[in-house]
Amino acid sequence: MTDPRSRDRQEVEALLTDAYLDSLLAARDRRAFDVPADPGLDPALRTAARRLEAELGRVHPSFRFEERLAAQLRRRALELSAGRPFGAAPREAAGALVVQIPAPPRPVAATVRRAPRSSPLAVARRIGRQPAAMLRFDGPVPRPVLIGGALTSAALSLAGAYIAWRRSRPSH
Amino acid sequence: MAAARRDPVAFEPLYRRYLAQVYSFAYYELGNHADAEDATERTFLQALAALERFEERARPEDGDGASTFRVWLFQIARNVVANQRRQVRRRSELPLDQAALVAGTADPAEIAVHRGEARAALEAVARLPGDRRRALLLRFVDQMSTAEIAGVLGRSEGAVRVLIHRALRSVARDLTEPGDAAR
Repeated sequence: MTDPRSRDRQEVEALLTDAYLDSLLAARDRRAFDVPADPGLDPALRTAARRLEAELGRVHPSFRFEERLAAQLRRRALELSAGRPFGAAPREAAGALVVQIPAPPRPVAATVRRAPRSSPLAVARRIGRQPAAMLRFDGPVPRPVLIGGALTSAALSLAGAYIAWRRSRPSH
Repeated sequence: MAAARRDPVAFEPLYRRYLAQVYSFAYYELGNHADAEDATERTFLQALAALERFEERARPEDGDGASTFRVWLFQIARNVVANQRRQVRRRSELPLDQAALVAGTADPAEIAVHRGEARAALEAVARLPGDRRRALLLRFVDQMSTAEIAGVLGRSEGAVRVLIHRALRSVARDLTEPGDAAR
């Protein structure tokens, strides 16, 4: 068990250290080298605190990273606003060809760039050229348009009509 | 903050305000820019997803504009970074004593190339055990108050004061007796 007197002493020392750190860190903006401390504070602690104060500066990420993450967060925020489950991909029919067509620009935020006005064909060509991970629309969330389903349905109808026509003809 | 809860699109100002703080914490904890970027990205994405669940705990007497958002955000950052540190350790397959030096032997020390003193200070911090190291980083790098650190680490203010005092004592000892591991 810890001796209560030693625990009390440690708590008092901890309070002194805390008060010193408050003043030291507040003086950072003034670029002051040191600040007055209680005489009861261990000089070695003061020295260590001053060294850490000098060495542990704030680190800034790269501008590129900052903007990339900002764009990602904007997209997710728009998904959330639109009521789509967080991170959920739009539903796609199995086997269907999915073409991403940017939705018409909406006034969402001043910093959001508007989607390029590309034709669906141009978008499809771009999708064919690039891996999915590289596709980026900095504007509003793109809307999927299902084309494959419609094509399949039309093909089945034509096939059905052809078979019916063949059966209706007398065989030789 | 209230605007961001009503409309997630308004999250961006919060992101801009706290980005460097979260990134710095991750950077000193993980030791390189690539891992710090990963952790920062995860932290903000998780924060955005959980924004609805954030509860403002600041009281009117705490002052105008007081918010506990930073504490909440750093609770997320702390968990994300802790998970990533475990992965970094596994990936690098360092023995435990070496793994504890991860933050000191990689990039942060490189900031101060040719500056042995800076390296020694960073390594002394990197050798500290978990919460002591985190408390010290939050105090010095992010300039958090004891009360805020208590909120992030889930401890009492008194416990955090003692934690920081012990951490500082370990660093002081390490700096005067180089080569000695933290006790």
